[in-house]
Amino acid sequence: MHLFVQACILGLLTGGVYALMASGLALGFGVMRVINVAQGALIILGAYLSYTLYTDLGLDPFVGLLLITPAMFLLGVALQLVFLRPLRDEEREELSLLVTWAIALGIEGLLSVAYQTTYRTTITSYANRSWTVFGYYVSVARVYAFIASFVVLGLLFAILRTTKLGRAIRATVQNPTAARLLGVDTRMVSALGFGLSVATASAAGAVYGLVFSFNPGSHYDLISRLLSIIVLGGLGSLGGAVVAALFMGLAESVFAAEISPTWSGFTFFIVLIAMLVVRPQGLFGARVRGAI
Amino acid sequence: MFGVLTALPFGFTAPWIQNLFIFTLMYAALASAWNIVGGYSGYISLGHAAFFGVGAYAVGITFTHWSIGAGYRPFYVLPLVGIGVGLASVPIGWIAYRTRAATFAIVTITLLFVAQQLAYNLRSLTGGSQGIAIPTPSFSVATYEEPFYYAMLGVLALSVLASWYVRGSKLGLALVSIRDDEDRARGLGVQTTFAKLTAFGLSAGLVAMAGGVWAYYLAFIYPEFAVDPLVTIGMVLMVYLGGRGTLWGPVLGAFILVPAQQYLAYQLGASELYLVGYSAVFLVVMLLLPRGILPSLSDRARRMRVGRPPGRRNEEAVAS
Amino acid sequence: MGKRTKGLLAAVAALAVASAVVAATASSRPTAGPIKIGISLSLSGDFSDPGKAVKRGYDLWAAYVNAHGGLLGRQVQLKIVDDASNPNQAVTNYQNLITRDHVDLVFGPFSSLLTGPAATVANRYHYAFLEPAGGGPAVFALKLHNLFFVQPAPVVKCGDSFVAYLKSLPASQRPKTAAYPSLDDPFSSPIADAMQSQLQKMGVKTVYRHIYPAETTDMTPIIASAIAKKPDMIVAGTQSQDAYGQVNALVQANYSPKFLFFANGANSPTEFPSKVGKNNVNGIFSCSDWTPAAPTNGNKLFVAQYLKKYGGNQFDIDNNSSEAWAVGQLLQLVAKKTGSIDNQTIINTLHSGTWSTIEGNLSWNQYGQPSGNDLLVEWVNGRLLPVYPKSFALAKPFSPKPAWGK
Repeated sequence: MHLFVQACILGLLTGGVYALMASGLALGFGVMRVINVAQGALIILGAYLSYTLYTDLGLDPFVGLLLITPAMFLLGVALQLVFLRPLRDEEREELSLLVTWAIALGIEGLLSVAYQTTYRTTITSYANRSWTVFGYYVSVARVYAFIASFVVLGLLFAILRTTKLGRAIRATVQNPTAARLLGVDTRMVSALGFGLSVATASAAGAVYGLVFSFNPGSHYDLISRLLSIIVLGGLGSLGGAVVAALFMGLAESVFAAEISPTWSGFTFFIVLIAMLVVRPQGLFGARVRGAI
Repeated sequence: MFGVLTALPFGFTAPWIQNLFIFTLMYAALASAWNIVGGYSGYISLGHAAFFGVGAYAVGITFTHWSIGAGYRPFYVLPLVGIGVGLASVPIGWIAYRTRAATFAIVTITLLFVAQQLAYNLRSLTGGSQGIAIPTPSFSVATYEEPFYYAMLGVLALSVLASWYVRGSKLGLALVSIRDDEDRARGLGVQTTFAKLTAFGLSAGLVAMAGGVWAYYLAFIYPEFAVDPLVTIGMVLMVYLGGRGTLWGPVLGAFILVPAQQYLAYQLGASELYLVGYSAVFLVVMLLLPRGILPSLSDRARRMRVGRPPGRRNEEAVAS
Repeated sequence: MGKRTKGLLAAVAALAVASAVVAATASSRPTAGPIKIGISLSLSGDFSDPGKAVKRGYDLWAAYVNAHGGLLGRQVQLKIVDDASNPNQAVTNYQNLITRDHVDLVFGPFSSLLTGPAATVANRYHYAFLEPAGGGPAVFALKLHNLFFVQPAPVVKCGDSFVAYLKSLPASQRPKTAAYPSLDDPFSSPIADAMQSQLQKMGVKTVYRHIYPAETTDMTPIIASAIAKKPDMIVAGTQSQDAYGQVNALVQANYSPKFLFFANGANSPTEFPSKVGKNNVNGIFSCSDWTPAAPTNGNKLFVAQYLKKYGGNQFDIDNNSSEAWAVGQLLQLVAKKTGSIDNQTIINTLHSGTWSTIEGNLSWNQYGQPSGNDLLVEWVNGRLLPVYPKSFALAKPFSPKPAWGK
């Protein structure tokens, strides 16, 4: 029982970080009908930037986050303008997969040249410290990462709910044609929305490097999980992504501790397959003609 | 075309050239097979490398568990592997086909990672990360590559033949109608599920056979290389480059890219730039030449023809 | 003498001179020219760091040999090609090197994963295959006669010295229970498995044994599970990344076992303390094939040459570089003994006798598996030192492991 609860704690903390990563992906799809396979690579890019800021300038990752996020926002907008907008509407969904995969490879290649393929971790002074709460140990770094993830998520939700941009984004997600009729510049909104999704990716990356070790090739592992999470939660649904992420983090951790670490990675896929057989649109997704 | 390819090993006996051609033929076969699903039906499967790996492991496992013997016998196992994997892929395809478009692609990517994990985890079957070693055949050193070359050529021939046959058949029509508008096709009575699954199984079987020859040639099967996302990227890129949905486009794409990649790897190898290179080629093709080389060329040829007799211009415009 | 006889004599003399000249030039032609050695190395991809260390060793050796008269009077020319840590590419590389570039000899690449396929290619063309870093069981299972793993022991036996050390302790000090979290990798889990069977025979109870997949980045649930039954000892078949991960997870969980052994990772002199914290290393054991202060043949020379060319501290020297140097050194020894570096001669000569290199005194069975033992190393006062067997030890081994941070 002790092990079970301990594993649950670990899993939830990890799931929080996944939630941040997955919500960016869900937002990207919702706004632009684009599956950004490069999300994993962008997260790793964020992790490397955070690592560099820490090792070279001594900036704690949570401070570095404040610098990286705006920069990555701009990068996201640029990527959208250069690579995604030129794609024709009807083919955009499928081609975006290939184009973003190519972007992911490009980022992986550049990172490998710049940083080599050695594994890195952002090792801060509190990296290995842990608190003992009711006999369970809780890693300090993971708690900070969890809190940071939900703060950023909260900010994202706030932007979407209260700002004009946010409302425009939500309108575009729900019904692009109607939004355009109501005067929303959907092209601009798409670019900015995409920028937002990349910005959240980098925030997630900054905290990722604190908890996990990574190298340029780590993005495959990440993206495979994130894709399962958003399909589980329902494409385009941010809330669904968060719930799915927490659930998956929990499931994986408990599986690894109680049953077998060999197959723990499988929990993602098993849940995904089960969901596809039963309810292909995911927990909170809508059955849209031609999209699902 | 095939005449030239068949005579090739006699002209170029240097092993390293034959080695290059083996990989070129392999990717040409893979690309052609992928085209049946990705090109004709429009469903972009990003997990085909999984079937490649399954085919490779199938050949490896027949060695370790059933000692199939050396020499030429493994080549006879290939058609069985192809049929077996083709059939096995149908239920997988059925699950995947419960989704469309982008979600389908995601599911196939997931399939790829599942296959890789299975390859790692089913240690008693696949040897896990230690892989499977296939005893090398005792072909004579001078012509060692030749049996593999011909085997791969055979798979390519099958692949192109299948592609050609599907094109001209009712199945092909069904697939194209699915690509244009699936719901309408279904409404018109087209057996969409049957068509999709047949194409999927056919494609998977061909890919698996190529994987089988590859495994035997390399004599070593490791999970991270047998089930490798870059193999999928490779075949997809070649199809797009050559012309999605055409007959010879994928083959052309392979014949351009594989030698180029090998050459670049030998010259620039000592850096990760090859990934950046791959990415750049992909992006250029996607953005500038989205229909691929063959269709673009035939478009230009048609436009040139249109330029001449003015009376026929309207007809040509409507036809294209 | 008549005119005809003089003419005949002149002709014979000219012929004699001519043939002498031809004979002289003909015999010097084949032995002129550099010795070309082809090598495929992982200069990019997953193995790029150790691959580069191997390259440093090969380059250092070639430079040294060339500056001191060459090999059998000929200069050594290395042709090193990148295989991007990919076995397909490694196979293609060796094929190109042998059949297109016609190199005289080949040396091995990094990792068992690549060594296996590469050695098979070399064997097909009857080239000797001296390799520094492919010692997993899969390599010897190939039953290749041309292969020689240039290290004292096959990878699987790496932990034997640790088991021997434990046996040497009085019964009350030995561990009673053990956990075995290992990586699914040809180098790693076989070591832990071999140790586990020996330890179980000694009476050490197994309370946890799991093999985790290769790309696992999160070690915390695994460690949580491993320590649930509070084992005295953890024997982990690891590579580097997961070893660091395990230590970090143990520190976070506040659990310090009495004995802690890592197959890899803990044997890297600079990386390990930087990744887990300088104060967390003491008392951790590992195994190694070489240390800079080991009293082996030519080691002092190697270390001096290495520091001269690459600088730094002797404890920073990666043992992949020493293994590479040993490969070259072995070639020199064969040349000295037989006067030839023909591939068949190398293969025949090395299959008998013991050869003294910086990696120790090496000898092999018919499939290239070395028959010696590795060193047991331990972190003592922040330094990684060999502690067992006594003849190579630079410090006394100590146990139990101190708490974290001491």
